[in-house]
Amino acid sequence: MAALRTTSRLFASSKPLFRPAAFTRSYATVDALSQDPNPSEQPRVKTFHVYRWNPDQPTEKPKMQSYSLDLNKTGPMMLDALIRIKNEMDPTLTFRRSCREGICGSCAMNIDGVNTLACLCRIPTDTAKESRIYPLPHTYVVKDLVPDLTYFYKQYKSIKPYLQRDTPTADGLENRQSPEERKKLDGLYECILCACCSTSCPSYWWNSEEYLGPAILLQSYRWLADSRDEKTAERKAALDNSMSVYRCHTILNCSRTCPKGLNPARAIAEIKKMMTAH
Amino acid sequence: MASIARQSSPLLRSAFRAPFATKNVAQVVAFHASAKKQILPPLPQTIQGTMNDPAPIPKSHPTEGSYHWTFERIVSAGLVPLCIAPFAAGSMSPVMDAVICSAIVVHSHIGFHASITDYFPTRRVPKTHTFMIWLLRAFTLSTAVGLYEFETNDVGVTEALRRVWNA
Repeated sequence: MAALRTTSRLFASSKPLFRPAAFTRSYATVDALSQDPNPSEQPRVKTFHVYRWNPDQPTEKPKMQSYSLDLNKTGPMMLDALIRIKNEMDPTLTFRRSCREGICGSCAMNIDGVNTLACLCRIPTDTAKESRIYPLPHTYVVKDLVPDLTYFYKQYKSIKPYLQRDTPTADGLENRQSPEERKKLDGLYECILCACCSTSCPSYWWNSEEYLGPAILLQSYRWLADSRDEKTAERKAALDNSMSVYRCHTILNCSRTCPKGLNPARAIAEIKKMMTAH
Repeated sequence: MASIARQSSPLLRSAFRAPFATKNVAQVVAFHASAKKQILPPLPQTIQGTMNDPAPIPKSHPTEGSYHWTFERIVSAGLVPLCIAPFAAGSMSPVMDAVICSAIVVHSHIGFHASITDYFPTRRVPKTHTFMIWLLRAFTLSTAVGLYEFETNDVGVTEALRRVWNA
């Protein structure tokens, strides 16, 4: 163990030798060397208005703060702009981000009036128009663009989002599924639970304590549609009340806003069809 | 501070009732100080149980949920041919009128009931919810009685519509 540590320390100390200084750069920023690669280019300055609220100063009301960035020196996505603001202009700006490629669902926010993932949302190149960035609507804000999704996750837990089986498989190995049965899960398993659809749903705004919302219902249908799951009846019974599913009034904001291009409204319609048949 | 506390005293009280909000009352009050104009302003956030407990599942009732929804859809879908049939067929039978009227009354009762469930939730305004439900029942009953009177003592809905259309 000690030997290992010594080698690793040796390796660590030798690391900078193998890494030329030109390769060290911070994330999505413009370092001094590469600034102004094309000086003749006109700067394209775009203004971003970002929702700010600091829990450390609770007597101050939430406000919109403006930042101007040259789009020539910024990455193409909204997340690039936010990271650049945080790195170079205002380190107090707070937002969640992780994967920067639309698979983690952390950077869900309301950009120019649409709930989307900042990492999948291109910055509109029209510099005359100013962009406005808010946290997800009708959520309790922790700070700036960070919403509190505790209850959303608690609702997710309430639908038991895991495979429930009592009978062991024939060979005692895997729970097998035909390609046709697997196909039913396409368009459902891709959901990353970013909460963009749920927080765009007016019905969820009014009744989020009891109505599950499109994201959780899509997940619910993902387990109802799974041929390997044996607790379909119990799952349906848990949904069979006036609030969990039937507060959906097919407003379809969910399908319109989904940054992954899924269709939660269709999943809810399928749940309603299943419930009618039972 | 005194003015802030006075402005939002109902919120203060509700914040004190809430199990988790007592520690940040000052924050809550300050944040909601300007929200008095809203009809039903959001209350301070409360989380029941720990973060790892699932959200409670609403109670089921035989007249709610899937049967209710199926019934509602059947009535809604049935209204489409019912509204066209008498004019297409040209027959203004009182039986047809009775079916249409009862379907419309049931359909609108279910629709308004859904609106009340949406906008006057029991967990938030239980008394207003009950009052609105009884108000809706009174309206539905008076509509039904009125339609019955119109059907028995006057020309009936479809005939009246036809006369207005041709007038």
